[in-house]
Amino acid sequence: MAENQSKNDPIPGKVVKVMVDEILRKNNVKPEQVKNNISNEQRQMLKEMVEDLKTQVDQFNQGEKDTTKTDK
Amino acid sequence: MSYMTKWRALDHCDDHTRDEEATVEQEADQSTSNQQVSDEWIIIKDSENVDVTTTDRQAAVSLQLGIEAAITAVIRIAIADGAQSEGVTQDFRQVINTRQSNRQKTIVEQSKDIEITTTDTDVAVNIQLLFQILAAIVVALDVF
Repeated sequence: MAENQSKNDPIPGKVVKVMVDEILRKNNVKPEQVKNNISNEQRQMLKEMVEDLKTQVDQFNQGEKDTTKTDK
Repeated sequence: MSYMTKWRALDHCDDHTRDEEATVEQEADQSTSNQQVSDEWIIIKDSENVDVTTTDRQAAVSLQLGIEAAITAVIRIAIADGAQSEGVTQDFRQVINTRQSNRQKTIVEQSKDIEITTTDTDVAVNIQLLFQILAAIVVALDVF
């Protein structure tokens, strides 16, 4: 997912990946263990949430603008 | 006698031949979320026919808050251990909180037929960055 959207990313995906991995490592979080903590229902919910936000971010980037005009 | 020669946009409103009302618009938006202070001022004085295009700040702020909340939610759900998830959340918050404040002022005075377009790059970059972090967390924790 992170790889798909490299065009608009302000910082390279690899940098974000390193940072995220480092934060998880520092806090002793093991992704293998984490998998078991999430139920299928939660997985689905989180997926929908992220996709929803992705749509909103894209919409925002396409420039939903406010236009105000004074009288002529 | 400078006032005699000074052009004034609203002069024509004094002769009542034109059926128009001058509108004065004032808008000062300030939004604060965590460390971010961002405010934009556009001041238009004594001018006419000015078009202003600006970022929808309300949408930007709620989108930012939404992504931040999503990051916290993913971490809370994925990392069952309370102390651990708290630590991770704190660390991400530190990264997210490194934000600059954006102050831009645009002043238009005694002008006619002007178009102004302002882009708040800070807010756009912040949103993009936040979403990048969220996507990376989801991938790293193999949530789906």
